[in-house]
Amino acid sequence: MKNIGYFLREAGKIIRYNSVSNIFSFLGTGLILFLLGLVVAVWGISSQLVVLLQQEAEISAYFDKLPENPEDIINSIKSIDGVWNVSYVGAEEARSRMENILGDESHILDLFEKNPFEPYLEIRIHLDKIDPVLQSIRNIKGIDYVRDNREVLEQIKGISRALEILGYLVIAAVSITTLVIISHMIRQGIYHNREQIKTLRLLGAPDRFIGFPFVLVGFLLTFGGGLLASALITVLINRGYAQLGGAMPFIPLPPKDRLLLGIVTLLLSGSAALGILGSLFGLSSINKENQG
Amino acid sequence: MIKARNVSLVYRDGTVALDDVNLDLHAGGLYYVIGPSGSGKTSLMKLLIGIEFPTTGFLEVMGQPMRKRETAKIRKLRRDIGPVFQEFKLISGRTAIENVIMGMRFLDIPMNKAKELAKNALVRVGLEHKAFTLVDRLSYGEAQRVAIARAVARRPALILADEPTGNLDHDNAVKIFRLLESFKDRNTTVLITTHATHLIGGCNADALLCVEKGKISIERRGGRT
Ligand SMILES: Nc1ncnc2c1ncn2[C@@H]1O[C@H](COP(=O)(O)OP(=O)(O)O)[C@@H](O)[C@H]1O
Ligand SMILES: [Mg+2]
Repeated sequence: MKNIGYFLREAGKIIRYNSVSNIFSFLGTGLILFLLGLVVAVWGISSQLVVLLQQEAEISAYFDKLPENPEDIINSIKSIDGVWNVSYVGAEEARSRMENILGDESHILDLFEKNPFEPYLEIRIHLDKIDPVLQSIRNIKGIDYVRDNREVLEQIKGISRALEILGYLVIAAVSITTLVIISHMIRQGIYHNREQIKTLRLLGAPDRFIGFPFVLVGFLLTFGGGLLASALITVLINRGYAQLGGAMPFIPLPPKDRLLLGIVTLLLSGSAALGILGSLFGLSSINKENQG
Repeated sequence: MIKARNVSLVYRDGTVALDDVNLDLHAGGLYYVIGPSGSGKTSLMKLLIGIEFPTTGFLEVMGQPMRKRETAKIRKLRRDIGPVFQEFKLISGRTAIENVIMGMRFLDIPMNKAKELAKNALVRVGLEHKAFTLVDRLSYGEAQRVAIARAVARRPALILADEPTGNLDHDNAVKIFRLLESFKDRNTTVLITTHATHLIGGCNADALLCVEKGKISIERRGGRT
């Protein structure tokens, strides 16, 4: 530890020697890490949506005409295997539920002259029996159509899966690019310092000692990029939540702080690891030179 | 300290730099390696510090066999050697004292102790007033003395000085020789090469290693051991 000041000064020197390309590699790493953060954020939101929709094993059944006696229909639905609760939602109730969901935006409902909602049945079922249950309900007289969330669920699942794959691709792209950029920077630094490195070896300095400033440079550049990306993504998610929360209040977003914490942790630890790995790659070129 | 048995060094281009060299140098000795330019003095130094390896024969420095596949051990061995290179190899962009400290950063010497040793070494070579001057601004003779300070500050068991009087005039050259000789003690062996045989008249060497076209013959001297 007695050399920590020396190592930092050396790292500073190496960075300053090639300051322009070092600034660009810092910015470049920051931006691709930001892209990664973005993809991960959208993926996180969509997979949260999938989980919520899956939990909600609830279907709605609409009447073909207003029944005089909904009790009969309710009872026959209740008797279906796999159904565990049926409740009647009147038109007024349907409207007030939507008002709750819309919150501040609920005034748009006032644009309708009369209540646009019709009464329906809210049916809670066991998810694994969804197919036969749907079949049976459709066959009951007085039921016009049944709406389940499977189609939406499948679509969002598809999006989420695509985002997951995209996420892995971006992770691969970020890793490869960062490793190449950093190991290249380190190699340049080593080339620039070759005389000093040779001398240190002749004096008996271990490779650990010679290489540490370079690992520090790799770490500082990519971790700096990680910090930049984290700052950008924090600003973006804060804004996004403020806007989405207002405009589309019915989208169930995961808790903001948890999402941010996850992404920032990923970006910082990932960038630190990539930086160290990249400089170790770059350093391996030292050893190819002759030991002289 | 140094043991050579039938050592030869042939460079890749076929030049025979050293030919059937046999040596037994003792710890605490003072040795001059003399011979005309191109005779193989630097080549011997390169072997002793592990820059080159014997093409044939066996060489041992402080108990360490000098073989190419033992580079890690040879790197450690170098920590006990104080080298003064013909072209100094000071690290540019740094002050004299930083250069001297550099030779100790990776040793088990606490920082304040290293600073003290560096300062003492610079005093010893008469350069304390240039301690904080960039080595790039030093004269040839001053740079030479910084290189010597770096070599001796860490108290090596073996000091290897290759042509340390290079371009110096007679008086300064003799001063450098006397200075290097002064570091010889019970635990420190000193090896100095020079082509300037006329300058070593008053030296206190235990032996002269006379190099001639890669062959080394040994001329014993009284020394002051
Ligand atoms: N790296 C090398 N490759 C080929 N020949 C070399 C090399 N280094 C030195 N020589 C040759 O080896 C011989 C001895 O050189 P050197 O040991 O430098 O002599 P000195 O130090 O006594 O002047 C010379 O003929 C020189 O040209
Ligand atoms: Mg020479």
